[in-house]
Amino acid sequence: MSEHAVPDRGAPARAGAIHDIGYRHYDGPRHGARYIQRSLFVETLRGTYGLGRSARSKVMPFLLLGLMVLPAVVMGIITSYVGLTAVPVRYTDYVMLVQLVVTIFVGSQSPAVMSRDLRFRVASLYFCRPLSRRQYVQAKLAGMTVALFILMGLPVTLLFCSALLAELPLDEQVPDYLRAMAGVAIHAVVLAAVGLLVAALTPRRGLGVAAVVAVLLVLSGMELTVRGLASAFGNDTFLGYTGLISPYTLVDGVVTGALGADSSGGQAPPGALGTVLFTLVTVVLLAACYSALVARYRKALG
Amino acid sequence: MSLIRTVGLTKRYGSVTALEGLTLDVQPGVTGLVGANGAGKSTLLKILLGLLPTTEGSASVLGLDVATDGPAVRERVGYMPEHDCLPPDVSATEFVVHMARMSGLPTTAARERAADTLRHVGLYEERYRPMGGYSTGMRQRVKLAQALVHDPALVLLDEPTNGLDPAGREDMLELIRRVGGEFGISVIVTSHLLGELERVCESIVVIDGGRLLRHSTTASATGATAVVTVEVNGDPGPLVRRLHTAGAGVRSAGNVLEIDVVDETVYDLVRDAVAELDLGLVRLERQRHRLTEMFTDGDRRSGGAHV
Amino acid sequence: MSAVEIDQVSRWFGNVVAVNDITMRLDAGVTGLLGPNGAGKSTLIHLMAGFLAPSAGTVTLDGEPVYRDPEIYRRVGLVPEREEMYDAVNGWSFVLANARLHKLRDPESAARRAIATVEMADSQHRDIRGYSKGMKQRIKMATAIVHDPAVLLLDEPFNGMDPRQRLHLMELLDRLGAEGRTIVFSSHILEEVEQIAGRIEVMVAGRHAASGDFREIRRLMTQRPHQYTIQSSDDRALASALIAQPSVSGVELTSGTDGSIVAVQATDFAAFVHALPRVAAREGIRLLEVRPADESLESVFAYLVAR
Repeated sequence: MSEHAVPDRGAPARAGAIHDIGYRHYDGPRHGARYIQRSLFVETLRGTYGLGRSARSKVMPFLLLGLMVLPAVVMGIITSYVGLTAVPVRYTDYVMLVQLVVTIFVGSQSPAVMSRDLRFRVASLYFCRPLSRRQYVQAKLAGMTVALFILMGLPVTLLFCSALLAELPLDEQVPDYLRAMAGVAIHAVVLAAVGLLVAALTPRRGLGVAAVVAVLLVLSGMELTVRGLASAFGNDTFLGYTGLISPYTLVDGVVTGALGADSSGGQAPPGALGTVLFTLVTVVLLAACYSALVARYRKALG
Repeated sequence: MSLIRTVGLTKRYGSVTALEGLTLDVQPGVTGLVGANGAGKSTLLKILLGLLPTTEGSASVLGLDVATDGPAVRERVGYMPEHDCLPPDVSATEFVVHMARMSGLPTTAARERAADTLRHVGLYEERYRPMGGYSTGMRQRVKLAQALVHDPALVLLDEPTNGLDPAGREDMLELIRRVGGEFGISVIVTSHLLGELERVCESIVVIDGGRLLRHSTTASATGATAVVTVEVNGDPGPLVRRLHTAGAGVRSAGNVLEIDVVDETVYDLVRDAVAELDLGLVRLERQRHRLTEMFTDGDRRSGGAHV
Repeated sequence: MSAVEIDQVSRWFGNVVAVNDITMRLDAGVTGLLGPNGAGKSTLIHLMAGFLAPSAGTVTLDGEPVYRDPEIYRRVGLVPEREEMYDAVNGWSFVLANARLHKLRDPESAARRAIATVEMADSQHRDIRGYSKGMKQRIKMATAIVHDPAVLLLDEPFNGMDPRQRLHLMELLDRLGAEGRTIVFSSHILEEVEQIAGRIEVMVAGRHAASGDFREIRRLMTQRPHQYTIQSSDDRALASALIAQPSVSGVELTSGTDGSIVAVQATDFAAFVHALPRVAAREGIRLLEVRPADESLESVFAYLVAR
């Protein structure tokens, strides 16, 4: 038996209607700069791994993530299988080991984060909105920092997990792991600052990637060379300070000196003075990069 | 309430003065902004958006002081820049949604308003394609859409018809009329083309050398003169003589006659004369003042100062 | 007096035919080159200037082919659309260098004259980098006229100029055209083209769509009824009297910006303009305004493009 209602012949036919699809005003919530900043941060973070962008833009970041993780997984398996008493590589050494992969990531993603808005002059559209230049830069920096934290933190954590699985003594593993993660955090923010600044200064297509990679490689190379020379000349004090040259060794110096890890590069920063200097230089570097970035966007409107 | 209020607004960059003692009171509606190139106009827009501090004087937009409430102003104002500002690898939809969120709209509202706004500016299937392949006309529409998506109370359109061909220009002007009329959003349009401002704006602000030259309603600046233009199909000679004899002041300028309007009987005079002389009446039109007169007169007076 | 002859010229770039079988002759006076974006106007101008070779056909100046002929460059000046210029020199040096390149006998005074003509004497010693768009345009103009060419080709020359600069440039082109030079300029601003161009050449998608005086072109469009708007003392009476006329195919009572009007469609222009004053006089209706609604260059252009 049909459920349909039979139209009553006597009643008027259903009235037609024309709906108003003209312009509607918006009376809903308008969130402030904090929300906007958080949105921008999330979009930036997702963007560094190609999420929310084309399929092609996911290839490089995930490939690099894979390369970062692979050694850790391999080491983890070996540790369990062979029954080592310690992980093959110290947690705090891991980043130094794979720094080339990190450099490539910073190089390939910094322009995507920073240069595009400048190259296509989209920046003016951001600043005619409630977001200030500082907040914009902060959101971008935060996005890149967290992306790098994941990039470097994931393999270290995996290594730590494999140590746990292999039932290595916790009191040896945990402090080192925590130091390494703190190091990863500092590495992340320093590399993000340097990478994004170089990218913001080189908005031309293709130039950004090369520039960022070049800067990081050149600094690393210089540091190695100077360290080699200092070592050859047998100057131990100087040797402790060569780390200031390259961001990787700079942060490693902070982790070694301030947090008591064993140095990955050779010499620890000499004494308390050395540690203070390294920490100071790191902070100054961050502040300088941040200010330079904010200044770079000053002319963005018009 | 005034839309925009400035008092003695002055901005200097070292030795260059971009704006000097600008005092303006702009009412809601569609207002045109004309001026000398470069410094003055873009400086004024930046100041109104709260992005540039003034050297002297003050400005308020929608009742908010640009010096202290910049972010609040930018929440309620939309801006369409003159220059290209669209990334090529992103679609219009994605871009406008993103910009809506950058104005503080929650995600769902951003999506809905982006879709609606793109429809209002006339972008249909194209909106899903990357913007790199768009024509100038489509790009201008997207720029307008991102300025409207957050339902501002005021939009600043910087040379919106730049680079558009005549058809595109017509479409854009029509859109601007709709924004001001149907959408109920106040508009400030900058342009170098007085003709289009005459057609679209209710009032005009003219800034020259950083100073306010004129601020008046379009209606008062384009009022009727006391001269009527007459064009006929055929030899105007006999008509001129006939009108002269009847005592009307007539001047001929090529094919076209200019006749003084003392009172409305002159219309009948012309009509009857044309009919009797077996001529065709091609045009009978009261001359109106044009905005360009501001520049030609001012020029003679001031000797033509340029930027 | 120099004439540029374009004879069955085509120019293609791979599969893109920018200019498709065009024949036209340009001589003394000002000619406006019009067309939608992408119609091939820039390509045609560069062909005329001798910077591009035609893929088919010939482009000649007074009988000699122009492509890569240095002698031709002496007689032709080109103001291209692109903005890029040598930023680090000042205006004076730039114009002077051009004068020298043309091997003029007295490059300094030629440069000085050219700069004075475009009214850039005050800013000539500043770096071009700091110039506004309008100033850059004027310096480009100066380099194009420094060698006193017989033919001047301008690609969107008014771009970026403020109203005063536009008026001056229009006066300049008018003067140069009256001196017997051959001036060709492309523009989207039809109201300006209307004012200074004696003839127009219209291009649509690479084809030559129309040429001549635009009013004449309109008269040639016999398939399209002429649109007229009339303000009168009794619209309805006038409308019913007019619809009785054989030259009228439609009347509409509607309203314009100033009140109610009668919109008329006339299939026979001459007969209509002849009949109108007679009909009005007979019915005792005062004609307050009689205006051809589609005789403007804008309307003519719209019709040509829509074909």
